[in-house]
Amino acid sequence: MENESIKIGLPRAMLYYRCRVLWQTFFQELGMETVVSPPTDREILERGTALAIDEACLSLKIYLGHVAALVGRCDYILVPRVSNFGRQRAMCTRFEALPDLAANVFRDSRQRFLSYDVDEEMKKAGEEDALVELGKSLGASAKAAKKAYKAAKKAELSHHKERVQRYEQQYKKTGMKVLIAAHSYVAEDPYMGRMVSDYLKKAGVVPVRADMVDREAALKHSREISPTCKWEISREILGGVAIHQNDVDGIILLSAFPCGPDAMVNELIVRRVKGVPMLELVLDSQSGTAGVETRLESFIDIIRFQKGVL
Amino acid sequence: MEHAYLGVDVGSISTKGVIIDKKNGILASQYIWTQGDPIGAVKELVGLLEGQFDKEKYKIVATGTTGSARKLVGVVLGATMVKNEITAHAVGTTTFYPDVRTILEIGGQDSKIILVENGVAVDYAMNTLCAAGTGAFLSSQAKRLGIEVEEIGDYALRSTHPTQIAARCTVFAESDLVHKIQMGHPREDIIAGVCNAVAANYLNNVGKGKKIVSPVVFQGGVSKNKGVVAAFERTLGCPVVVDPNGHLMGALGAAILARRGSKRQEFDFSVENMEFRTREAGCGGCSNHCEIICVYRGDELIDSWGNRCERGARVRG
Repeated sequence: MENESIKIGLPRAMLYYRCRVLWQTFFQELGMETVVSPPTDREILERGTALAIDEACLSLKIYLGHVAALVGRCDYILVPRVSNFGRQRAMCTRFEALPDLAANVFRDSRQRFLSYDVDEEMKKAGEEDALVELGKSLGASAKAAKKAYKAAKKAELSHHKERVQRYEQQYKKTGMKVLIAAHSYVAEDPYMGRMVSDYLKKAGVVPVRADMVDREAALKHSREISPTCKWEISREILGGVAIHQNDVDGIILLSAFPCGPDAMVNELIVRRVKGVPMLELVLDSQSGTAGVETRLESFIDIIRFQKGVL
Repeated sequence: MEHAYLGVDVGSISTKGVIIDKKNGILASQYIWTQGDPIGAVKELVGLLEGQFDKEKYKIVATGTTGSARKLVGVVLGATMVKNEITAHAVGTTTFYPDVRTILEIGGQDSKIILVENGVAVDYAMNTLCAAGTGAFLSSQAKRLGIEVEEIGDYALRSTHPTQIAARCTVFAESDLVHKIQMGHPREDIIAGVCNAVAANYLNNVGKGKKIVSPVVFQGGVSKNKGVVAAFERTLGCPVVVDPNGHLMGALGAAILARRGSKRQEFDFSVENMEFRTREAGCGGCSNHCEIICVYRGDELIDSWGNRCERGARVRG
């Protein structure tokens, strides 16, 4: 197999927003090409909705739409199974099911999928082992795959660090700051959370992100709000809220309907974090933005009321 | 000429309007059904308000709109202030009840709770994806039971043994209600049960996790239902105040916000005779196919909205 000719499709959804630098660097290091599906638009959402079962969360519907947008455009589509990073560091079961789900939903296409399996608890397989295995299955030597992973992880960490530093600067700005507590694939998707941060900016509010914090520190601080929460990303968000709750004027708990972990964790935040105005916002696939705007506008008004500027 | 301020609240079910003077005294007020035609309703409303209004003594110098059709109606009326209904209700209620701590509001399709400290709204919640227990639910259940929605309260208060109705979801509540009818429960007990279910549903959903402190003011169309008021008082264990003008609080808030705002634009009653129409234009700029609403006065395009990006601007022309 000629490495140069291998083209790997990355669906721009779910873990893409967290792992894009890792994935892109890894495949690039192995001399492969990556192609990313276009930003979410109505067509992607509609295709995903048609492919998913009704009960699936909006994020998963969008994910399937992105996979569909890549079918036939690459040799492989990367759909990893990420189950957990150890005890009390689990991912939502959606991330465990993705490879089987994608294989099933697209069984009639000739599309080939590529997966790797992160499961420290059951299989003692960490991200490094999993990606090295993946590299080897694509024809790379163990040594080359290991080197590619190291470079990719380094790039990912420094990219995240840069973003965290950029957000740290935002806290120093004057004016109203609102912390968005959401999964990155909800907060950054143009058809989901992006309209929230866009709206805040237009209203003269500085949006900051709970998950844009040092991940190790966040895991530690998450225990201040919940000693038992078991979801990795939820713990990062909890930790971010714990670290920054006194640096912001309000918190928006932003979730895609019907997110299981958020249903529990957001309720937990509402009950345990006091003294800062909070807005729970649940996004569904409605095309109108009126309901969201009404809620955001009144939330900002309430904060301004408290400050006596309205 | 003394200055006056117009506030208009166009909801999914009803359209409310008030004209107030500088001291928040009500000079004119009106409450009509929206009937799926917000522009038609607001034109009718303006005509009715004009009849009660002393044009020799006052002139309207600022106009505020609120409610789900606030944007559309704001364009039609040339509003100087367009505000969401939560802010409008909070401002309206705290103006008339400076001591209020909790505002309960149940309208035609949405419900909200606003918590107030020292006359300032500090927290609120609104129903998210579910409209269970709002006015629309009560209307449909009244129809099923063969009574007018206005009669619900009187029936409910006659009951001594309210029937238990599942409150969680409108669909379940409805099938539970049908079941109870077929089992032979008396009508007033079922109606009282529906009122209890509305209050319980509200407190379990919108009011979930919120500390409800007295004085409590209840407003929105459903506050006119004595059965629901009684259910709230029983559950909360404190008196629940229903203002005779409670249905106008959003409109009053909009008028007060317009007065407080800096913009001034004299209101022209002739809008009631103008032709307004809206057109939905699909933008073909990309695969988002945004639904753009264009508002025309006569043949002149006066505003448009709904596009996610700048590309939609082309469709306006």
